[in-house]
Order: sequence, then structure tokens, then C-alpha cells
Amino acid sequence: MRGSLNKSSLIGWQFVLLPSALILLFSFFPMVQSFILSFESGKGNVSEYVGLGNYSRLLSDPMFRQALFNTILYLIVQVPIMLFMGLIIAHLLNSPKLKLRGFYRTAIFLPCVTSLVSYSVLFKSIFAVDGIFNKLLMNLHIINEPIAWLMDPVWARVVIILAITWRWTGYNMIFYLSAMQNIDPSVYEAASIDGASKFRQFFSITIPMVKPIILFTAIISTNGTLQLFDEVVNITNGGPGNATMTISQYIYNLSFVYTPNFGYAATVSYAIVIIVAILAFLQMKIGGEKK
Amino acid sequence: MKKKALSTLLVTALMAGALSACGSSDNSTGNTSNSEAEGGKQKVVAWAWDPSFNGKALKIAEEIFKQEHPDFELEVVDMAKTDLEQRLNTNLAAGVTEGLPDILLVNDPNIQKYVNSYPGTFAEFTNSSVDFSQFSQYKVDALTVDGKIYGVPFDIGVTGLFYRTDILSEAGFSAEDLENITWDEYIEIGKVVKEKTGKYMSTINPNDEAWTSILLQSAGSWYITTDNKGNFVNNPVMTETLRLYKAISDSGIAKPVTGWSEFVGSFNAGDVATVVSGVWQIASIMDAEDQKGLWAVAPTPRINIEGGVNASNEGGSNWFVFDGSANKELAMDFLGSTIGGSSEFYERFLTEAGGVGSYIPAFSSEAYQQTSEFFSNQAIYADFTEWSTKVPGISLGMYTQEAKDALKNELPNILNGADLEKSLANIQQLFEQQVQ
Repeated sequence: MRGSLNKSSLIGWQFVLLPSALILLFSFFPMVQSFILSFESGKGNVSEYVGLGNYSRLLSDPMFRQALFNTILYLIVQVPIMLFMGLIIAHLLNSPKLKLRGFYRTAIFLPCVTSLVSYSVLFKSIFAVDGIFNKLLMNLHIINEPIAWLMDPVWARVVIILAITWRWTGYNMIFYLSAMQNIDPSVYEAASIDGASKFRQFFSITIPMVKPIILFTAIISTNGTLQLFDEVVNITNGGPGNATMTISQYIYNLSFVYTPNFGYAATVSYAIVIIVAILAFLQMKIGGEKK
Repeated sequence: MKKKALSTLLVTALMAGALSACGSSDNSTGNTSNSEAEGGKQKVVAWAWDPSFNGKALKIAEEIFKQEHPDFELEVVDMAKTDLEQRLNTNLAAGVTEGLPDILLVNDPNIQKYVNSYPGTFAEFTNSSVDFSQFSQYKVDALTVDGKIYGVPFDIGVTGLFYRTDILSEAGFSAEDLENITWDEYIEIGKVVKEKTGKYMSTINPNDEAWTSILLQSAGSWYITTDNKGNFVNNPVMTETLRLYKAISDSGIAKPVTGWSEFVGSFNAGDVATVVSGVWQIASIMDAEDQKGLWAVAPTPRINIEGGVNASNEGGSNWFVFDGSANKELAMDFLGSTIGGSSEFYERFLTEAGGVGSYIPAFSSEAYQQTSEFFSNQAIYADFTEWSTKVPGISLGMYTQEAKDALKNELPNILNGADLEKSLANIQQLFEQQVQ
């Protein structure tokens, strides 16, 4: 233990040095730069220092409030549904009695390998006015007139939530499945001998055992939902009105669709950073290990 | 060991990916810097977004220019329109001029935005070889910022009322019944068409502002005023436009669509009797070969208000030259002697790409007098160019997109019957919030 910088740790530092330098240069430096940028406002290259002006504008910006509302709505409706479905499916697929397990696992995971844009376009055409979903409902005589799903603020949001749930449930399911496979079967055996029902086993054994993974997926999904962009842009482009616009799309609009105001766009990005940090902190507090 | 091999493989793949990414971006950025180094050959790079339309136009212009400048060479970099805009914004905001082209395609609503956001970036054409009096005035107005003209006018989107002669005659309407009508008359005709033939009169898309834009410009108004203020309150044209929008929506004569492909699909499939759109829509309409000879074009319906005319515009673009470009003079010369002043160019552009320009001397040429079999042997281009001279000139300002989004936000309420005056005040307020 003599000499803290012995040979092996020196080699270790050499390995760490390059990635650290790259992370500093390409990740932390832009973060600081964009933070400085968030105190400026203007058009394109003509911008000036406005102090906290952008932040006070943010608080009274109805467009931002709308985008925030939409994003949080997706978050509180979609994430719990998706995670719970992921858990149930993982539990079912974990059953040793199930035949064709490999097939089901692949089928449920498959949406995750499709490109975000292509599945969005698919959902858009399914829910178009003369899309297949309206045809189906009309052939089943559930509705008489086709419904313009993507033009109704409520239904448009439902379609977005459906789409992301379809895309991401399998992804979370894989995490749960691998966690469940690490649970010793003898625990379940002992529980059934004690007379615990399957239902009871799921809630009292499976869920507590995979709790760290649930926390992990919850944070990942929260983060992902707050950055939601591709689906909304491709399915509804934020419409009808601005009923489905997300914060990310608003940032994009501020920089590339509207007269570019990069300073204000950076401010909105920092709003996401703060929200993600707060939510992650809350989730750790609620779901994390109590020490 | 297996694991190690796998990770080595992954790292190699990753590195290869990263390196190839660098390589490809190198290829596309080095264009401008080495353009004059090739001894004798003079190469100009241009960005455009439709190889069969504006890209094609550049190719035609290149052929014409080459007759007198055999050393001239043009490279057209083709990108999707949104990609082009994103790339341009990123480049200019970062202050990186390397990798930018010499010539850039800019659509009308972006002109003021670019010129004001990136001052000194684009070359001025005010005292160039281009004679702007030879172009439709409204195109030149759109290119003028603070009394200076930044670019060469290119294609126009003068609008017309495309209609299916068979459906309308089944409903009892002749060509004269559609000539120079008002929008209220249009709605009445639509109701009869819907009742007698079961076909929709048009499409409606609450997420798309094309329709409101056409109406506003036809009466010389726009979403914003010339000094970039919201133009929603105390604007009779805006009030009338939105009243008509609601009337169309309420009348049930419009088929709801949610996107561009559905919109095009609706007339290609024969679901609607009319399409009000820019002249460039001809190509899409002609895609339905089974409808040959069943279409005709009438002037755009007008708003029944003082200053309302039976002509408007939807879309259109212009060519800009970068002020800092090493080939600035050559690029300006190239544009000036082709797109900026060659009747031959516009004749070929029309016959080869179906594009209509705003260069008035070309309008009297033979190419513009041709009749179209698809459109019931009508001399459609002559009609469109005649209408184009009547389109009111407006200033598009620099906040068109912001204003459109503010309107879009309130549109569902308006269609649900909210008090129009109150809604317009809301839109105005939202817009002012957006552009501070």
C-alpha cells in the first residue's frame, strides 16, 4: 500500500483521462455555454444580455405553460400505465408453464427496435380520418361517422399516449423480466407452502424484490417523457391548436421554426433540466432505500 | 474470453462509426473553400430542397449560363426543407461560414427573418444587374427589407380554384357560376354539391394555415402588420376570414384531413369537388391520370370586403447569395443573367418542371400560352399569370410563424363558437407574448 500513485492506478488514470477530457469538452462545456446563453435574448445573431429577463418571461409564457401542462399530463398518465403493464407482462412471461415464451418476449420487445419516426407515421395513418381504426369501428357498427381522432384535443393526446405506451412497454418489460429471473424460486415455493395466493405473491414478493429496477425505469421513463419530441412532431405536429405540443417541440420551434431566439430556447431547456432534477430527487426519496 | 472479444468488436464498431461520421461531414463541408482552387473551373454551390423542382430550375439555369461561360460549374446540394433551415440556422448562429453554400433557396415567409436575424450575411441585389420592375410587384415587396432588396424572385404560388367539371355540372353548375365568386357564394355552391352528389366541396385542416393565409392576402392583409405587430384586433379582413372559416367548418361541406398526404389523397381519390391552392398544386392534381379532362381552374373566390380581389398567393421562394462567399460576384452574375432576367429560363422552367415564375416578360411567351388537356384544354398558365398580376402586395414580416401558431392555439375555440372578438384579443395577446 506504499505510494498512492502506484503503477496500476497510474494506468487506471490514463484510461480515465481521455474520456474525461472528451466529456468535459463535449458535454460539460456546452452545458455551461448554454447556461450563459440563457441570459441573452434577441433574433439569431443579434442578441443582448437580458439578465433574468428570459426566466421571468418563462414564468408568464402561456405557450410554455401549455407545453409543460401537456408534457406533465403525458408523464402522470402514461408512465404509471406503462410501468404497471410492463410489470404484469414480465410476470406473465416469467411463468415457467408458459409455452412459446421466446416468441412472446420477442413480439412484445419488437416495437422497441422500430424507428421513432416510422412508428409515429404508422400511428398517424392508423388514426387518420379514413384510417384503418375508423374503418374497423365503422365495420363493427360502433360508430356511424368517422371520428377525426387527431383533430380533437383529448383524442389526440390519447393517441400520443397509446403510441408511446406501445413503443416503450416492451423496453421496460425486459428490465423487469431480467430482475424477476434473479429472484430465487424457493422464495415463491416457501410462500405457496405458507398458503399465499399468486396475487399476494406478486404484490408481496415480486414487486418488493424488483423495486430498485422499478425506480430505475421510473426515472428513465420520466426523463424520456420530458424529452418527448419525435412522436408528437410526426403524429400531430403539436396540434390541434397546441394541445399536444411538448416542451422539446417548443424549444425546437423557438430555435428553428420561429425567428430564432437561441437565448430563450436555452432558458426553456434549463427549465427541463430543473424539472428532471426535482422529479428524480422526489422519486429517489419516495422509492429509494431508506437508510 | 468471449466477452472480451465481443467488447473489442463493439468498440471497433463504435470507433468506425464515429470516424466515418467525421469523414462524411468533411466531404460536405469543404465545398466552398476549394471552389476556386481548381484552376479555370469556377464552381458555385447551391442549397435547394426539391431536385425535381427548384433543383431542376438551377440545372436549367446552369445550362443557359454555360453557353457564355463554359468554365462555369454548379453543384446543387439537395436537402429536405426543414433540414436545410435547421442546418442554416445552426451554421449562422455558430458563426461558422465554412460549409455554407454560395446560393441559398429561401421561401417567402423566411426572408425578413433571415435578413434581420443574421445581418450582413446575405448579399444585396438592389443595384445589381437584375431589373426588378420586370417581376410581379408583390414578389419584390416580399424581398425588400428596409428599402433594400435581398435576392432574386423565383417561383410563385398564385392561387386558383381548381374544380371538377363533372361533379359541379352534376350539381347543376357551369363554368360561369364559378367565375369571380365570393366565399359566401362558394359555400352555397358547396352545400348544393354536397346535397346532390354526396361529394365534399373541399378539405379542411385546422392544423394548417394555408387557407387563412390565402384569404388574408387576397384582401391585402396578413397576420402581422408591416412593423411586425400582431394584426388580429381591429382588422376587418382577419375578422371576416375567421367568420368564413367557421362558416365553412359549420356548413359540413369540407372533409376534415389531418395532414398533407391526406389532403392530396382526398382530391386524387375524387372525394372533393374543388381545391383552392397554389399553381404548383397542378403537378399533384395531374397525378390522378383517371381524372384527365375533368378538371378546370377558376379565379380564387374573394372576400366580400373593400380591397378583396379574386387572386391570392400561397408559397413561393427566392434565391439568396451569401455576402461572405468567395464566389459572390459569380453567383450574383449567374442568378442575375438566368433566373433574374432570362425569358428562356422561365419558358424551360415551365415546360420541363411545371414551375411558374414571376418574370413578367416570359408571360407573353408561347410556353405560357399552352393549353392543358388535363384541364379541359384551358390555357391554365396564361390564366394563372394574369391573376398573379392582381395579387395584392403584402409584407410578410418576420414573425409569420409565431402569429400562425398563436392563431392555431385559439382556432378550436373559434370553431366551437366562442366570441370572435374576444378570441382575436386572446390571439393578439398570445402573439405579443411570443415575440417580446
